[in-house]
Amino acid sequence: MKPPLVIGLGNPLMGDEGIGWHVAERLAGDPRLPAGAEVVCGGTDLLRHADQMEQRRRVIVVDALRDDGEPGTVSSWEYPGGTGATACQPSYSQLSGLDNRQDNAHCLSAIQAIQLLRLTVPVPITLLGISIPCASLQTGLSPELAARMPAILDRVLTELE
Amino acid sequence: MSKIVIDHLARVEGHGGITVEIEGDTVGSVHFDVFEGARLLEPLVRGKHYDEVAPVLSRICSICSVAHTLTSLKATENAFAVRVSPQTDLLRELLFRGESIESHALHLFLLTVPDYLNYPSAIALSADKPAVVLLGLRLKKLGNLIQETIGGRAIHPVNPVPGGFGKAPAIEQLIELRSALMQGVADSDAAMDLMTTLPPADFCHCDTVYAALRSPSLDSYYAGDEVMAVSDGSRAIVHANDYKTLTNEWAVPHSHAKHSAFREKPIMVGSLARLTVNPRRLTGKLAVAKKRLKLQLPADNPMDNNKAQALELINDVERALEIIEQLLRAGIKGEPPVPVQPRAATGTAITEAPRGLLIHSYTYDEEGRIAAADVITPTALNAASMEMHFRKTVEQSAERDDASLSRKLQMVARAYDPCISCSVHVLRRR
Repeated sequence: MKPPLVIGLGNPLMGDEGIGWHVAERLAGDPRLPAGAEVVCGGTDLLRHADQMEQRRRVIVVDALRDDGEPGTVSSWEYPGGTGATACQPSYSQLSGLDNRQDNAHCLSAIQAIQLLRLTVPVPITLLGISIPCASLQTGLSPELAARMPAILDRVLTELE
Repeated sequence: MSKIVIDHLARVEGHGGITVEIEGDTVGSVHFDVFEGARLLEPLVRGKHYDEVAPVLSRICSICSVAHTLTSLKATENAFAVRVSPQTDLLRELLFRGESIESHALHLFLLTVPDYLNYPSAIALSADKPAVVLLGLRLKKLGNLIQETIGGRAIHPVNPVPGGFGKAPAIEQLIELRSALMQGVADSDAAMDLMTTLPPADFCHCDTVYAALRSPSLDSYYAGDEVMAVSDGSRAIVHANDYKTLTNEWAVPHSHAKHSAFREKPIMVGSLARLTVNPRRLTGKLAVAKKRLKLQLPADNPMDNNKAQALELINDVERALEIIEQLLRAGIKGEPPVPVQPRAATGTAITEAPRGLLIHSYTYDEEGRIAAADVITPTALNAASMEMHFRKTVEQSAERDDASLSRKLQMVARAYDPCISCSVHVLRRR
């Protein structure tokens, strides 16, 4: 079994939408990162990381979340490992409360990717959604979200304990 | 007056998808709304040194990060008159093939097939037909493996650099890729079998102008500096440096993407255009597959782009195998990148991203810093053509109810494999 993997999703060119990417970048250089844990700066397509997720003890996915929460609020969803066609039925959802619609013209959302990956990568996944105030073209985070970065990193590290 | 509004293709901040106004039997305005980040990227690279440009612009898109990286490098190298080695050319073409396999597999199996079989999503499809989805995931994984092995990581490749390649793959890695591609041959054949069983999507016909890279080898996504436009039997060639005479862009109020037209007609780019411009690729197994798909070229049905992608899937796997054989025969070796001497100059590159022509054009100052940049993506090039085909779809539809029209419009939009959503990808609460 391979060590835990953290995948930070997002596009760093799109401001706060890139929060997962920024978290992964910071986490990779954080001395508190447990020995053996691995970190990947992902893009916006979780399916692309299927290979890296295989045979992991656990995978933590960090992504931006559009909701009414305070910027930087971390919400979590647990998706148990295991396979089976029933896990992919639309009525099945360990990720309750998240929008499962196909609202993307040529790739899949992280939610849809996680549900599909059960067919090939039956590892436990923790999804951490970080509330963001906006998503627009800029290279850095908004000041209000940047200010929450230490607390967000603490939260991700807690998941790895 | 009635109005069909599809915001299903929407991405962020309420930017919509398709809006069609209908007055009786007459179709009024037709809008394809695009929030296209690439058009707004120039400020992000202005003033940047030439070796910083590709890593930034590769992040325009997660699916097409290879295409943006390599097109950016090609434009920079054209500006500085750098000629890379034959080995670098082959490695870059192989990277392109990996991206195309991955992108086409995702599009065909996870987005298009559910449309044809009346499933709301790939997740729903996987419950009834897991083998179909698994086939698509295997092909997507193959494309990812090529990109990771050659590009140096799963996304936003680090090995391609100005003047060459950072680290060439080891012989053992190429042999491993070859084994995976041999399985991919069977899988791409199975994909073709599946495509021949799909119900026809025969609801939009009209003459279309196709534009694609005219590759010197007749089969390249990367090499070449000429675009051929094909329309109604006539052919025109445009050099990369004259790309503005191909695009003739103009702004429209409902979209962040400018529209393009060649000789006052919208152009369609992508797989169907590539096969139309380079029909001599379709020999042997591909010719048989084309016949099985009942694909006529030039086509008058934009839905045929899905068939063209299935053909390219087979071709990409075979071409990737050929390139690996070439590299193994020649003996892959570590090569230092060709030295780059910056100068004040403009360089333009045109390549074939999975969904069509991709144009990067940069003007550098004498220190090798960007003074001006222009990036034109396939979806922006296709926008006017999409609106034309949306209009024809509504005009030619016997069914006039919103549900039927909406489904057809979305299928036409998806056939273009548009890239309107890749820059932003947030989770949303219900």
